[in-house]
Amino acid sequence: MNLTDNPIFLTQKRLVHRGGVLAAIIIATLLGLSLFSGLVAYLANPTAFRFDSPEDAGRMFYGWIVIIEGVILVLGGFSRVSRALSDDRKAGLWDSNRITPLKPSQLVTGYWFGSGLREFYMAIAFAVIGLAVVLLAKLPITLWLGSQVLLLSTACLFGLIGLLVGMAFERSGILLVVAAFILCMFSLVAPGRMLPNFLLPIFGLNYLFQNPNHPGYQHQWDTPPSLFGLSLPPVILTLGIQFLVGFFLWRAAVRKTARPSQPLLLRWEAIALFAILVIIQHGLLWSIWQGHFPHIMLSGDRNYESRQSLLSAIHAATICLAIIILTCASPQPEVIRLESLRRGFKGVGPIFSRSAVPLAVALAVIAGTATFTQCIFSLDRIWNIVAIVCINLVELFVAYALLLEFCRVRHQKRAVGFLALWLFILWALPFIFALVFFDSDFAKLSMLAPGFHALDNPDTASSWDLLFLAELAHGAIIIVLFSAWFRQWKRLLAKTSTT
Amino acid sequence: MAEPLLEIDHLRVDFPDVIAVNDLSLTIETGDVLGLIGPNGAGKTTTMRAVAGLQDLTHGSVKIAGHDLAHEPEELKKRLGFMPDFCPTYDQLTATEFLDHFARAYAVPNRAKRIDECLQLTWLTEKSNALCGELSRGMKQRLVLAKTLLPDPQVLLLDEPASGVDPLGRIELRKLLLQLHDLGKAVVISSHILSEMSGFCNKAAIMERGKLVTFGTIADLGSRMQSRRMAVKWRVENAKASEILRNAGLKNLQVDALSATFDFDAAPDTLDDLLKTLIVEGVRVTEWRARGDDLEQIFLQSGARELM
Repeated sequence: MNLTDNPIFLTQKRLVHRGGVLAAIIIATLLGLSLFSGLVAYLANPTAFRFDSPEDAGRMFYGWIVIIEGVILVLGGFSRVSRALSDDRKAGLWDSNRITPLKPSQLVTGYWFGSGLREFYMAIAFAVIGLAVVLLAKLPITLWLGSQVLLLSTACLFGLIGLLVGMAFERSGILLVVAAFILCMFSLVAPGRMLPNFLLPIFGLNYLFQNPNHPGYQHQWDTPPSLFGLSLPPVILTLGIQFLVGFFLWRAAVRKTARPSQPLLLRWEAIALFAILVIIQHGLLWSIWQGHFPHIMLSGDRNYESRQSLLSAIHAATICLAIIILTCASPQPEVIRLESLRRGFKGVGPIFSRSAVPLAVALAVIAGTATFTQCIFSLDRIWNIVAIVCINLVELFVAYALLLEFCRVRHQKRAVGFLALWLFILWALPFIFALVFFDSDFAKLSMLAPGFHALDNPDTASSWDLLFLAELAHGAIIIVLFSAWFRQWKRLLAKTSTT
Repeated sequence: MAEPLLEIDHLRVDFPDVIAVNDLSLTIETGDVLGLIGPNGAGKTTTMRAVAGLQDLTHGSVKIAGHDLAHEPEELKKRLGFMPDFCPTYDQLTATEFLDHFARAYAVPNRAKRIDECLQLTWLTEKSNALCGELSRGMKQRLVLAKTLLPDPQVLLLDEPASGVDPLGRIELRKLLLQLHDLGKAVVISSHILSEMSGFCNKAAIMERGKLVTFGTIADLGSRMQSRRMAVKWRVENAKASEILRNAGLKNLQVDALSATFDFDAAPDTLDDLLKTLIVEGVRVTEWRARGDDLEQIFLQSGARELM
């Protein structure tokens, strides 16, 4: 079915048009023309401005057009898609559409491309004026083409995220995205080496806007990124990563449309997505240590300290990513309970195999392997670092999976609050004690501590024994958690048989 | 025997703390109008949502015209119309545009003609260009019914279709359901207001706490009833009337000056004899009927306890 035959798309289009699009297009056009007129004014009287050349002026004016267009298309589009879907869900129209013979993919496509049409029209107005700016300033057409493709691809990615947010929440979730953008700002410390700069078009756009007449002006942005030493065009890398992530989001949206009780990510999808993102991230870091961590291989690098802590930052980001993926892929207890009713299992084996715990182990193995690549040639010196980081990753991920399911089974609707409480106690509270009592040894009791401590202090062997002891203690905590987790499951399944 | 259009076999639906539908089996044939009766929380809506594919089944199967929900959901959806107990409409679209959306979704041939037919069938032709948001609740209800009829489904599931509809609307709805019955559709209609359902249901299924208490044709269920509540009225005050009735050994007899009600569980001939005696004794009987509607009696004697 073509998009123009898709009833969801046509209805969303009708609703957008009924709400009025002309005013929005005129606003976008006026904004764009005001920037265009700035360039015309410069060309008419260059001495009145502080630009070095028409190209510089064109870059500045087109840069503003791209920023405004990006905010409208990406954030506005995301908000519009998620709100359209959550409104239709609340009104019962989502279910009405689901019971028609339309395929889930047609429903998803209709909302994805139909709801944000107003923002798309505004973006077209900006793009046309942007093209005029680029041509008038004699900038390379690749700047316009590359930036527009990046904006469109990012808007599509955020449209898919908007769909999933709309399926899960009753609000637009725009604050969530703004918070994510702010968090991504941290990745600006190492532009060409941090994945968020490529998941969002941050590096790609900056790279396109670099002035070739000023080489080294902003060295961090004009050097193409490399994956395990292989140099790649940043626009292609960004589009590739966005396509891969979008592929999994698309599958999740279609699956949730067909059966809302299914998890966002299947187990193989969770493993594949995590592996792709973590391996790309470590690939981007490769050229710093080239497998000799902690010895920096970049000649003349003045940011030794910041490079040293980069692996810790990636370790933290990997933990965050694993938490998100485990949360998305972990099956709801009710789904497992219903399956136990259908198949009649009650033992620990079938529950364990369906839970997120095996997935947590798989993710830890992937993350450990990716970290291992950074010290593959220095393993004889720092094997203990690798061992501590890998054990710590397994403990963290398994503990999270057990806690998540324990809280979901025991506390049901209050699960999020109790999960946050347990994570605070096990992960954050020791750091607070360390600050309050001025004793850093308290911090080592946190489940997070061994991995970070090992990566931050790879040359000091003084506290290895303490770290290994801490790992053992955390292992004991996991056994207790497992016992509590299993008891909750048994109780739930016992209740099933007596309901 | 007519071909079964809807077959529900050992259906079970679980919610976290309750079994919403437990081992429900029903068969509905062409032209059947089934009243799904039960108090709030009996599992009527969950059953309908499960048949429509909106609710995961724990056990059991649902088939429409031989197509299994689990294996051929697309085929099943083409043959099913589901009208929920509220009115989901796009408030910014006109009634025609709203129907056009669903006509496209169901790939209805000759869309414009079919939309006109459905608007006419639901007495909404005059409102075809009105925005859905401006329609009254009853009109919205009819519009959603029109949407349900658009693809000409073989099986219709109508969840509380008369809730919030004014008395005139209810009369029109009753006419429409009779029309659907004549067209050979299988209709499942849920309600906890029995008076709404009497007159057009030929089958009834009574549910309570997720379980099917009784199921069958109205005639079968009626014949299975242990007793019937009878009402009798006479024109002129007559002491003999009350005397005859009291001497007949009737259960729960309530007698006024010009009327009486009682439970009757003997053979129909005995009831005929009683009427004959009254007439012979000069009682001018003006009304002699089973009190209330049959569905209400069936429900009251089905074993279901709550009716809200």
